[in-house]
Amino acid sequence: MEQLIISVGREFGSGGRVIAEALAERFGIPIYDRHLITEIADKTGLTPEQIEKYNENPKKRIISRRVRGYSNSIEDNIAEMQFDFLKEKSESGESFVVVGRCSETKLKSNPALVSLFILADMDAKVKRVMEIYELSKEDAEDFIFKKDKKRKRYHNYHCSGHWGDSRLYDICINSSCLGIEKTVDYLESYIRARKDI
Amino acid sequence: MAAAQIFAVVIFVAMFVLIVMDKIERHYVTLGSGILTLIVVFGICMKSGKAVWNTLALKGFATKDFWYQVTESESKGINWATIIFIAGMMVMVEGMAKAGFFRWLCMKIAFLVKCRTIPVFITFMIMSAVLSMFIDSITVIMFLAAVTIELSQLLKFNPVPMILSEIFCANLGGSATMCGDPPNIIVGTSLGYSFSDFLINTGLVAGISLIFSIIFFYFAFKKELVSNSSEKIDMSKLPKPSEAITSKRDFIVSSVIFGCAVLLLITHATTHLTVASIGLFIAVITLIAFAKDAAELLKKVDYKTLIFFIGLFIVVGGLEETGILELIAKFIENISGGNAMLMIAIILWVSAIASAFVDNIPFAATMVPVIQSLAETSGVALPTLAWTLSIGTDIGGSATPIGASANVVGTSVAAKNGYPISWGRYCKKLAPATIIVLGISTVYIFMRYL
Repeated sequence: MEQLIISVGREFGSGGRVIAEALAERFGIPIYDRHLITEIADKTGLTPEQIEKYNENPKKRIISRRVRGYSNSIEDNIAEMQFDFLKEKSESGESFVVVGRCSETKLKSNPALVSLFILADMDAKVKRVMEIYELSKEDAEDFIFKKDKKRKRYHNYHCSGHWGDSRLYDICINSSCLGIEKTVDYLESYIRARKDI
Repeated sequence: MAAAQIFAVVIFVAMFVLIVMDKIERHYVTLGSGILTLIVVFGICMKSGKAVWNTLALKGFATKDFWYQVTESESKGINWATIIFIAGMMVMVEGMAKAGFFRWLCMKIAFLVKCRTIPVFITFMIMSAVLSMFIDSITVIMFLAAVTIELSQLLKFNPVPMILSEIFCANLGGSATMCGDPPNIIVGTSLGYSFSDFLINTGLVAGISLIFSIIFFYFAFKKELVSNSSEKIDMSKLPKPSEAITSKRDFIVSSVIFGCAVLLLITHATTHLTVASIGLFIAVITLIAFAKDAAELLKKVDYKTLIFFIGLFIVVGGLEETGILELIAKFIENISGGNAMLMIAIILWVSAIASAFVDNIPFAATMVPVIQSLAETSGVALPTLAWTLSIGTDIGGSATPIGASANVVGTSVAAKNGYPISWGRYCKKLAPATIIVLGISTVYIFMRYL
């Protein structure tokens, strides 16, 4: 199979990660999400906890500064390590699925890339988050709002395009319309059609 | 004039806020602010072509004084001498880096002290300070931190204490000379001081402070460094210094050019060559010597920093032409009640605190006309205020991870290699060291100049 890179952007609670995992399984390729953290931990000597603390976090602007491409912000440095890692993997010809990490923009130049963005209705997201995290409706809404705000700030700081803007992705899909399973089916057939697999 | 003053201040404040926010690259911010100053402040509000002309300062190029200066003279508006000098040194440094000079020097010194942790720690601090006297601290730290990490992996020690000490000493070394730190270049070229003027004034206190700093860092980091240093070092496993040299010919040529630059800077008060001439000369001989790589060296020059400077000088020119900086000078004079000691303490500590959080380059550029005005009205000697400003801005920058460029580069190199340095970790040791050096400097200035 020729190289295939599936980038999955997602709203919190939309089931984006589960969809990404299912796609990885169906195409028989590895997925980089949390795994990215352990790979970078192995490479740098940082602990996974240290990386997790700063993972997909926007930098704190007031206490950060950038000089000739160098930044004192740990968040920035972790993000750049992840981008470099993804570029390395992408250039090596490896096929993989990657969740978030601005991958739709950072890997855009690779023709093997198929970029997806998973969104969902608020009710569906709240229901899902309430179940997984055992939260009340209010807390779930608050959690979703905070997580998405953080992802948006992280994405928009590292990329020129806006997080969730349909022009940035090949497909934006609402997972509450078909449900997770059928959304995976639909995306699988789309990717197969795109890549002629 | 009131409208011009208001717009000049608004543009200046907006520029600072945008630099801190770091959403738009800082050279676009200062250049945009500079263009706005020219159009809105000078054009629309003041309707003064003269102010535009003064600030652009282009006629300076045609004057003999710009290149060959017998008597001290002050400059206004865009400080082209600073820009040409920095550009020239950037070309030279690129040539040196290409030849492997910095890596060779670091490895050579490590080998000379047999790669023992504590001697490496001390010699690297001294090397950081000495190199930063002549070369920009960003380059010094970029190489020193990289070699420190490499050595730490081979010799099994934690590189963070060493990198933090190197950062501090780079800023300290930069304060010793006219070309060590951008605020000094701005102060020196704006007020017409020479390399040796700086060396015998700020250099002396930097030297004294370096001794105290080495002692401070030794005790502050001793535990972290000593714990792993008992193992026997197998020098044969370490990369040899000579391996760092990419081309013997380029190495010799770049070393000679560096030697020339140091010599020209040390003697420029005698030869009357200005830093602009020295910068241009050094750039030209580097490009001739590295003729086949000249295009690559020119490409590597950090034009963004040069544009940043141009925009910045225009915005500060706006504050100067509209009389805002005189108002600030009067304010400082009023709150100090004409007391020279208080005035100096205010300039030193306010410069230091401001430089710890905001870029010290715009701060120094803004303060130069302020101290000129203060010297005229308060009777305190201008050189005393100039050394106070230089020390305050250079040293204050060490206190936080964002205070100076070397801090950002050092902490970034550490983080990229698996050693993230948080604000807490950084400030715990470097903020007290900064306060100690500022204390020493306050006593030094009071005793020597008042």
